[in-house]
Amino acid sequence: MKSLRATMCVVALSTLPASAVGPAQAPTPAVNQTGAAVLAFQQKVADYVKLHNQAESKVPSLTETDDPAKIAAREAALGEAIRQMRATAKPGDIFIAEFRPHLLALLRSGFAGRPRGDRQALVEDQPKSMALSTYMTYPPSIPLATFPGKLLRSLPDLPPELEYRIVGRHLILRDVKANIVVDFVRDAVPTT
Amino acid sequence: MTAVTRHLPWLALVLLALGSTFPIDAGSSSATETTVAVSSAPDETLPPVAEDSVRFAVLGDTGTGGTAQREVGARLAQSHRVFPYEFVLLLGDNLYGSERPQDFAKKFELPYKPILDRGIQFYASLGNHDDPNQRFYQPFNMSGQRFYTFRKGDVRFFALDSNYMDKDQQAWLERELANSDSKWKIAFHHHPLYSSGARHGSEEDLRAIVEPLFVKHGVSVVFAGHEHFYERLKPQKGIFHFTNGAAAKLRAGNIRVGALTAKGFDTDHSYMLVEIAGDELHFQTLSRPGKRVDSGTIQVRSAATDTSKEMDSWH
Repeated sequence: MKSLRATMCVVALSTLPASAVGPAQAPTPAVNQTGAAVLAFQQKVADYVKLHNQAESKVPSLTETDDPAKIAAREAALGEAIRQMRATAKPGDIFIAEFRPHLLALLRSGFAGRPRGDRQALVEDQPKSMALSTYMTYPPSIPLATFPGKLLRSLPDLPPELEYRIVGRHLILRDVKANIVVDFVRDAVPTT
Repeated sequence: MTAVTRHLPWLALVLLALGSTFPIDAGSSSATETTVAVSSAPDETLPPVAEDSVRFAVLGDTGTGGTAQREVGARLAQSHRVFPYEFVLLLGDNLYGSERPQDFAKKFELPYKPILDRGIQFYASLGNHDDPNQRFYQPFNMSGQRFYTFRKGDVRFFALDSNYMDKDQQAWLERELANSDSKWKIAFHHHPLYSSGARHGSEEDLRAIVEPLFVKHGVSVVFAGHEHFYERLKPQKGIFHFTNGAAAKLRAGNIRVGALTAKGFDTDHSYMLVEIAGDELHFQTLSRPGKRVDSGTIQVRSAATDTSKEMDSWH
């Protein structure tokens, strides 16, 4: 009998207008927040690649050469062209604020369970701290730490023009051909 | 120029006449300076076993521009007279530190000038100390790609960028392995899938991704560097792994001999010479003074076969 009464009560309540049962609920977003954040990040990446391609069209094309001076000059010219086209760039332009919590969660998850020695090996030969700025040239004297393959698969895919890299405890987005730091997130790599 | 450095070439000739071992490192980064590194120790390089075989050398972690690199380079040139290899695989860390034009000269062109002058081709893979734009340096024969493949006789080589094994590279590797009908499939890259090194050890993330492909598609041998010593691993899932990252750097005493190690050498610099004739691969590993520290023969494997019992002989 109790059960029947309860059921009738629920049915009665469900037929009432929303305003009659309590304060208004926030509408459920049509697109989940994580998905929207990843899509927004990917759009920023696509915008960057468009700019990268425009910059590439302004510098001499690079083909195989036995003159390393040409490789270095082309790398520097491309980096400079990109800097000029994004003179107002600032950290967080691509690793946008709404994407960063998701990114940090992925990194935390990716590093969880890795032995301490494994984590240390990732940043071997790297400085404990490194001054970072948007569109700086990645210092040639600092090795490019190997990016763990499994972790890479958990992050949103990047086009070949860009790659994720870890420098010290920071995650950077690196333009491969221009050898510049496009964006970064400080202290993204968990220490514990 | 001091009186000592001015007279170094003459001093070298006198010492050479006396049969001494002497590296000369004037400490200069000049691209035009002649480097001399000669050893009077007997060279234990073995000659090839067959005509028309595929012959190559394997060097890892080379790009220091230092004395050891030049000495190994000189020894490699000596070996070529006995064992005429036609190309060289570079296992990454081709240039440590800066990559200015003079660095390419000091860390690659000068140490290997004797063999470059003989028309020997190099095929490079990228290490963690390498700017990926090295792929545009023609003497590395990378065709402008971070990962690539090439064929010599009945051998298909797969050069991987183990620093950044993304989905694109994985898909490319699977496709190229599947499409290859070569009898021999050999992979080379910087990070070892298996290693007994105390400093680094096995690269398990990379292994989880590429090893299933190697097994499925019949890769017989894998060459890697990164660890600054020589190690021949016991066959893993039927595949023979060699770590060979001591052509310029050395981490003495770093091998923790254990279940993985078939043969280790971590007391001097080293390089490998390899010959493939029919179903057999013959290898020899030589130290900087020219002593043969390992050698043996491997039988080709086909997809999904276990060659762990197929070791013909080890010396």
